[in-house]
Amino acid sequence: MSQEIAVIGSPEFTTGFRLAGVRKFQNVPEDDKAEKLDDAVEETLADDGVGIVVMHDEDLDHLSRGVRQDVETSVEPVVVTLGGGAGSSGLREQIKRAIGIDLMDEEDNE
Amino acid sequence: MADDVKPTRKNLMQIEERIELSERGHDTLEKKRDGLIMEFMDILDQAQDVREDLEEKYQQAQRAIDIARATEGDVAVRGAASALKEHPEITTQSKNIMGVVVPQIESTKVQKNLQERGYGVLGTSARIDEAADAYEELIDQIILAAEVETAMKKMLNEIETTKRRVNALEFKLLPELRENQEYIEQKLEEQEREEIFRLKKIKAKKEEEEKAEREQEREAEAEKERVSADD
Repeated sequence: MSQEIAVIGSPEFTTGFRLAGVRKFQNVPEDDKAEKLDDAVEETLADDGVGIVVMHDEDLDHLSRGVRQDVETSVEPVVVTLGGGAGSSGLREQIKRAIGIDLMDEEDNE
Repeated sequence: MADDVKPTRKNLMQIEERIELSERGHDTLEKKRDGLIMEFMDILDQAQDVREDLEEKYQQAQRAIDIARATEGDVAVRGAASALKEHPEITTQSKNIMGVVVPQIESTKVQKNLQERGYGVLGTSARIDEAADAYEELIDQIILAAEVETAMKKMLNEIETTKRRVNALEFKLLPELRENQEYIEQKLEEQEREEIFRLKKIKAKKEEEEKAEREQEREAEAEKERVSADD
């Protein structure tokens, strides 16, 4: 089944991806993020035609708790965040819980 | 729990069987967990490389589009972005790592040439082309990251479940079964001791009875003899 990539974020963030041909996008202006980002993300996650969701790492802070957890654990579609450095979203927490050691941290210290 | 089991030999045999099975399961699950963690370490290394590249590509792409915006204006860039005709598509296939199904993502139509982009050659500048190029590369990298990170998430989930199962067996089920086993064994031993004691008691009682009977007989005989002697 062929799927598409979707982008969620401020218009400045999404424009570049549209330039590369990404068709599914949700523009949420910076001022409205507190209210509208949750809906935008939920809508995109529910879309079967979307395989990968691209978001900016800082935008995750605008999400409510439940939606944020969905974003961090969702596998289909998978959410890739940009601009957040190596400790990507909830992955680090999950590693700590599953393996018992903070592997990401160890890697940073090297 | 120990109060619920009936101290019978049949129950004891059943519990011993269950202990053996649980121990075998525990060993197997432990091996699975270790194997999964080893696989995960490999993927983690890979993921960290991919992440680094991703951040680098993202910065490059941002720089490119900022330059395009500065020279062409925001409207021109957005106009070009709206004109795209070809859209990148991804298809997912799955691969199996130790019972965990991880995706393999194939992408098509990410890298495009100038004609395929569809915003025309006239009216747009090379800056926009550069920005589009940079973002196409970024999307390729994102797809790679998505693949690796999905695999990591799925494996972590599997590791967690396996770990829970191992711990449940090791710290809950097995101790309980062993406790029951010991309870039954002790109860049975106690019953045996009681039985022996009871037998001893019965034996002593019987001997006493026999002794009393003999005494009586002897007394009766003595009486008889005395009576005949008197005659």
